[in-house]
Amino acid sequence: MERSPANRAATVMERSLTTLAFLATAIQLSAQPATNPSDLTGAWGIYRGAKGADPKLAPPPASPLVLKPEYAKPYEERRALESAAAQRGEQLASKSAACIPYGFPTMMSVAIYPVEIIQTPRQMTIISEAFSEVRRVYMDRPQAKIEDVAPGYYGRSVGRWEGDTLVVDTVGVKTSVSGYRGMPHSDQMRVTERFKLMASDVLHDQITIEDPVMLEKPMTYTIAYKRIPDYEMVEFVCDNNREYVDEKGVVRLKLHDR
Amino acid sequence: MTILQAARTLAWCAVGLFAAAAPALPHHSFTMFDMSKRMTLAGAVTSFEWTNPHTYIEIDVPDEKGLVKHWSIELGSPSILMQSGWKFNSIRPGDKLTLIVSPLKSGQAGGFLMQATLPDGRVLRNGPQPQTEPRQ
Repeated sequence: MERSPANRAATVMERSLTTLAFLATAIQLSAQPATNPSDLTGAWGIYRGAKGADPKLAPPPASPLVLKPEYAKPYEERRALESAAAQRGEQLASKSAACIPYGFPTMMSVAIYPVEIIQTPRQMTIISEAFSEVRRVYMDRPQAKIEDVAPGYYGRSVGRWEGDTLVVDTVGVKTSVSGYRGMPHSDQMRVTERFKLMASDVLHDQITIEDPVMLEKPMTYTIAYKRIPDYEMVEFVCDNNREYVDEKGVVRLKLHDR
Repeated sequence: MTILQAARTLAWCAVGLFAAAAPALPHHSFTMFDMSKRMTLAGAVTSFEWTNPHTYIEIDVPDEKGLVKHWSIELGSPSILMQSGWKFNSIRPGDKLTLIVSPLKSGQAGGFLMQATLPDGRVLRNGPQPQTEPRQ
């Protein structure tokens, strides 16, 4: 049937409106704040590479840990004691055997436990499944002076986007919280993380630890994560810890009679 | 099985293949267990504790004379076990199980689970296998 001029005009108008709506959406999308270029929200499993996968997706090797001599000696001695105990079939007392959370940065990679990231414009929340540890990264806020931050397990973290990389600065981790491979640190430690999507489903967290008191030079290691779609995080409350430390400082297991 | 489920299964297989030789534990080493030894325990479950930091199977094991000895068997955490097919109700009190464990070095009636054969014949391992990467 022949369409009337009025109908044709209405159709043209409708198409124009659709185009306008499309353009408006496109403009709106491109006008997303520069602070949110990548969506990191979701659950992430520890990733160590896969056969046939791009080797760049696997985490690069860590840089050497070089402590100043006066701190290297007790650290190496402790490692030697632990190793000797392991040879004897014993585990020395540790905070983790007492079910005390790891703190930052160890919590970012505990065995094969996933971490969950919840990204909002003003805050990134990072939850580790092991021990249900939680960090909060405040976006686009100034960092406090180290001496003004109450020492804690996670310190104070602020973040900002540099292009497609989320840069997170953390200070104020208490000195009793040991770090990478049990390394010690002073109250002057500063940790810089660079989160970047290496592929749509692979995230790297490059962690650089600076400590002018204890480290000869900064040390860097990278944790790689793989996205786990639809994963539901499992709770972790330590209400049945059967390990205890005997009078010799060795971890033992409580047994039940029945 | 949907494509998504298959992909997820594959992803976890990859985790298993490229993750490390001992089952993943959050908070202690295996030094109290003799990981070079394997022993088989067949008996009736008295309780299954789906708890953190570890899950436990409490089990009464009769010997050849019918004398019952009670054993406490440690498993990974619920999170780790769920990655290898376990659920909180995979085992119930009264279930007859056959367990392969690495016993405590101390000689006490305790051990670390290697695998469990459930009443329905399913065999479950103690977390994704194998694990070789040392934890940081």
